[in-house]
Amino acid sequence: MANTIIGSSIVIDGEILGEEDLTIQGTVKGKITLKENLYVENSGVVEANIETQTVTISGQVTGNIAASDKVEIKSDGRMVGDIKAPRILIADGAIFKGSVDMDI
Amino acid sequence: MSEIMTVVGERSVVKGSLQGDEDLTVFGRVEGGINLTKTLIIEPSGIVLADIEVRDAIVSGVVVGNIKASNSVQITEEGRVVGDISAPRFIIVDGASFKGNVDMGGFETSSGELPVAPPRPASRSVRPASVGARAAAQAARPAPAKPEPQRPEAARPAPAKAEPAKAEPARPEPARPELAKAPSGKGASAKPAPAKPAPAKPAPARPQAPARPGGSKAQTPSAREARQPPKPPKMPAGKRKVQRR
Repeated sequence: MANTIIGSSIVIDGEILGEEDLTIQGTVKGKITLKENLYVENSGVVEANIETQTVTISGQVTGNIAASDKVEIKSDGRMVGDIKAPRILIADGAIFKGSVDMDI
Repeated sequence: MSEIMTVVGERSVVKGSLQGDEDLTVFGRVEGGINLTKTLIIEPSGIVLADIEVRDAIVSGVVVGNIKASNSVQITEEGRVVGDISAPRFIIVDGASFKGNVDMGGFETSSGELPVAPPRPASRSVRPASVGARAAAQAARPAPAKPEPQRPEAARPAPAKAEPAKAEPARPEPARPELAKAPSGKGASAKPAPAKPAPAKPAPARPQAPARPGGSKAQTPSAREARQPPKPPKMPAGKRKVQRR
């Protein structure tokens, strides 16, 4: 019960801060700041700048991502924006537009 | 993941507006606004600083802000609310704390609300002793039979003040024997003292009224009222009848 879930019919316009996993099935606009993992599920729509440890995208993300560990775009994920993370995984079938910075 | 439900976890903060068509459970913190067509559950660890518009709200945590519910608001024994409540049904459990105004809509809505609304403010602010009575009143609310006798007094003579409402049950039998006779008329034919009839019957069922500390204090107004009604109170009787049927 500890983790945060944003259900598919929920729309949040604002900011989410947390120190625990966040799963998004609905819509979030604004800003997301986490110390743990962010999961954007198939039905999830995120229009936000994201700062987390890891991001796993199966839905749709528009905005810039800064991850301290990893960004993963799954095969049904769509992402528009810049990614800054030491590890970036883009699966076959994923759609991505933006720049990548792996801090090399 | 299988359950379709939105949760704001204990260590999460949502700032801004949150709206949706499903239940929302808050273990963490929400600031801004919440707009749901279903139920908002605020767990004991939850803190909500927001104006809330929902169908139902169950508060076990802390809410600072106004709550507007299309159905019900319930504050459990762990719940704390500061703000105004607007809901046709409003439930405060023993142990809950609440500060704010309550609007349960027009008195002519459903019958259940009436007996509950007036006694609450008085008992909360003045006499902790009557908390139990309040709870009892609430428990009795769903059953139409009990509250019915209470309603006329609470609603008509002084909807805003709880004191007279409480004292009234005690009033009829000692002061006016003739009133006690009228009761069976139930307002249909008993125009002489329509305000009283109903209460006279249930009076024995509620002996707690005289025993209550406030009873003696409030007796004066009730006695005064007892004198007035004989002629004018026709109108209330009519209203009451309508409401009851």
